[in-house]
Amino acid sequence: MTGPSRAHYRGVIVGAGIVGLFTSYHLARAGAGPILVLDRGFLSSGASGRNGGGVRQQWETRATVRLAREAIAEYRRFGREFDYNIWFRQGGYLFLAESPAELERLRRVHSVVASEGLASRLLAPEEAARLAPGLSTSRLVGASFLDSDGTLYPFPAVWGVYERARALGVEVCFGVEATGVRRDSGRVSGVSTSVGPIGAEWVVNAAGGWSAEFSERCGLPSPNVATRHEILATEPLKPFLDPMIIRLADGLYVSQTMRGELVGGLTIPHRPGTSGGMASSVEFLPAMARALIDLLPRTSTLGVLRAWSGFYDDTPDGLPVIGPDPRLPGFVHANGFGGHGFMLAPASTRRVAQSVLGERSDLDPAMFGPQRFLGPGSPRASERLQPG
Amino acid sequence: MSEGPSPWVRYRGRPVPVRPGDTLARALARRGVGILGRSVRYHRPRSPFCGIGFCTNCLVRVNGRPNVRACRYRPTAQDAVESENAWPSPRFDLLGLIDRVFPSGIDTLHGFNRPRWAVPAYQWVVRRLAGYGTLADEASGRSAMPGEERTMDLVVVGGGTAGGGFARSLGPGAGRTLLVERERSLEAIPRVEVLDQTTVVFLPPPDPTDPLGFRLLAARDDGRGVRIRARQVVVAVGGYDAGLLFSGNDRPGVMTADGAEGPTPETDRPSFHHAVLFGDGARIAGLLERWGDRVEAIVAPGSIGPEVARRSSELGIPLYPRTLLLEAIGTRRVRAVRLARRGTGESVRLPCDAVVIAHRRLPHPQLFFQAGARMEWRSETGSYYPTLSDRSETTVPGLFAIGESAGFVGSAASSSAEGLAAVLSGPAPARTGSIPRVRSEGSNELEGYYRELLPKLPKHAKTIACACEDVLLSELVEASERGYRGIEVTKRYTGIGTGLCQGRYCLPDAILLLSLWEGRPPNEVGYITQRPPVVPTPLTALAGLPPPTRTEPA
Repeated sequence: MTGPSRAHYRGVIVGAGIVGLFTSYHLARAGAGPILVLDRGFLSSGASGRNGGGVRQQWETRATVRLAREAIAEYRRFGREFDYNIWFRQGGYLFLAESPAELERLRRVHSVVASEGLASRLLAPEEAARLAPGLSTSRLVGASFLDSDGTLYPFPAVWGVYERARALGVEVCFGVEATGVRRDSGRVSGVSTSVGPIGAEWVVNAAGGWSAEFSERCGLPSPNVATRHEILATEPLKPFLDPMIIRLADGLYVSQTMRGELVGGLTIPHRPGTSGGMASSVEFLPAMARALIDLLPRTSTLGVLRAWSGFYDDTPDGLPVIGPDPRLPGFVHANGFGGHGFMLAPASTRRVAQSVLGERSDLDPAMFGPQRFLGPGSPRASERLQPG
Repeated sequence: MSEGPSPWVRYRGRPVPVRPGDTLARALARRGVGILGRSVRYHRPRSPFCGIGFCTNCLVRVNGRPNVRACRYRPTAQDAVESENAWPSPRFDLLGLIDRVFPSGIDTLHGFNRPRWAVPAYQWVVRRLAGYGTLADEASGRSAMPGEERTMDLVVVGGGTAGGGFARSLGPGAGRTLLVERERSLEAIPRVEVLDQTTVVFLPPPDPTDPLGFRLLAARDDGRGVRIRARQVVVAVGGYDAGLLFSGNDRPGVMTADGAEGPTPETDRPSFHHAVLFGDGARIAGLLERWGDRVEAIVAPGSIGPEVARRSSELGIPLYPRTLLLEAIGTRRVRAVRLARRGTGESVRLPCDAVVIAHRRLPHPQLFFQAGARMEWRSETGSYYPTLSDRSETTVPGLFAIGESAGFVGSAASSSAEGLAAVLSGPAPARTGSIPRVRSEGSNELEGYYRELLPKLPKHAKTIACACEDVLLSELVEASERGYRGIEVTKRYTGIGTGLCQGRYCLPDAILLLSLWEGRPPNEVGYITQRPPVVPTPLTALAGLPPPTRTEPA
């Protein structure tokens, strides 16, 4: 652990996950340096190194579909731009419905996605089974599928953006914790850290599961809640499963990685907040094993290789918080991604950078800005297609 | 089984006779089947290496079920056994060309991005290099088998010398005691319930507010799961023979001493005739005693002890003390090794058909890491051990460690077990004074050995740092040169330690190397977060567990 090399930067980004790093990259390219990125852990220690690698464009809200479509275009180019191969494989996302109500929900998603010009399809159970050999269809009533969705390896994406940002002059410090914000004449003048104060004109809260904690330490109450989600990987098999499968009924998601492991998760209730740590629970393994056998019976004797967990940064309306905080000029949010920070990162962070630079972005501030939770009334939209 | 025709299994369609007590690997080895499968990525030929059910070298498909470890599987008559990850056969695998065409490895981290139109083809090929078996046959799927739930005062994990000795020394004051043993257990122990062929796979930190705060998950070899609540846990999971870094260290015929012996040492003949042994201690002496007529030479990183020296001179076996093992030569079987005398650099080539690595024993530290016990690196063996109190308690109250996994060897292993049994059996006062921990013999100079070896390793051939995932030593070097530090980040950068052996054969050496390159002690290089389960555990075993008796409030 080494401390920052300077006492003053143009801006400080809190959190060196994919959101913080991509934001620093866009800002450095725009000449907004010097920039410091702080992280209290090590590179990839948070959700950027713990997610299942899914990237999809099937969403309930049009604005999210557009961000995701842009992100997929960026991830397709990633290897040639960042010199790391993220093995982004477009095997599609298959959503499964087991009740008429779930099917109706998929229909609504399908109509939004298809109206954006994406080749989303609604499938009968036997068509879904053809896409996923061994899929149990006993309760299946229908499915939706988009073949340009896919999965990637999160780690090389982190290395690629990290190395490119540093090559552009961004300084990244690990093992340093941001403990609050410093103010001067009603606006940001720096951050307090575990290694002393650092001057800055702006600060971005990209702390993922710890974003509410950081906002509150800055005197800015936040509606975000960290929730622990668990995930596992099995022994590797030869490729048999192309799409990511998501079952709406229980939120089960599973895909097969390039290495052949099945990687998937299931939402089971945990105490909200980060205090429980990122450990695995004894409840998850049996619950996930039952769900996976139920979905793909031929995996029943397959060995579970490892299980781990990470934090989603959830917001009340399921949409991320992107934009300047009206309570404190110079404080910009890039958080609340609810488990989808990685998949949207290349696109969403471009809007974060625009906010920092004081430019107008194409995101509706009433839908994505922090002010939607500040006044009376309810947020304009919501995004509830959470799993995977 | 003495009457009638002997039972047999079918391996790739051909009958292979099976003797009573055989593991599948042993039956196949007797029939001359050396290469059981191919590695992921480079499709290098592999033969049984660890012999105790951790590495990936003996995975086969049995009756339509993928990824069965032949070294632990007890065959039943007429099993249908197929090879995995090789076409047309493990001996001649077409994809093995990848290994020949790319002698210094393929760069899946940076390469295969250009030209854009070729990316789907790259993905198609690389995806097919990965994975072992194919999805299980329809008929082989077992439905979830109903699991069991136990509540005990004391759970002993491991029934070997230390765990078994501990259990036998327990008095009636110990309360309800359960001994869990991975292999077959033969004898009954008074007042102790024994659950054998069962592996404890998850030991999370205990709930301090609950007197029965420990929750263990275990998996039985028959496919059932067990959840155990316990007041106290004694871990005596023992140790294993480490691997070693050298060029061609995964060649067929390279094995650990465990691998030479198999999980239950039997009087069978080993799979070699001219072995080179690497090591200098009691392990080597034991191998000489059993198979001295099949040993070609003994190579040791340092000096060789008097007992081994005396015995080998009686047998006429040449000794190579203070010698580097540079390279194992041979494709489908080791044909020779290349050595270099330390200091002088004088090079020696020895013909052989096996390399048996027996230079150091390592503990299984996984359960201690899972439980959140404080661990300390000990340079004598180059591994982590739990920090212990005078009465063998870890920093997690109620969690104890004895035997080899706690760092006790030789007579100290049994005295640690008996001492703790006296403490946990009743009102006897806690022992004062620490139980002596004996330095493990052998290579406390592994650091100096590697420092000297690394620059001398041949560049034209692969040195495998992690055999499960085919991670090359050169990839560790690249990660370090790019400034990625610590074992956690190195694991994520290279994939080392993410394979089926859960890092047993790669992490201790990788931590030592990172410590050399980063110029800081191994405990600062760290250890990976020990994820559950500690060995791959079938979904059926987990799925059959009853719903938990107490859950965290939502």
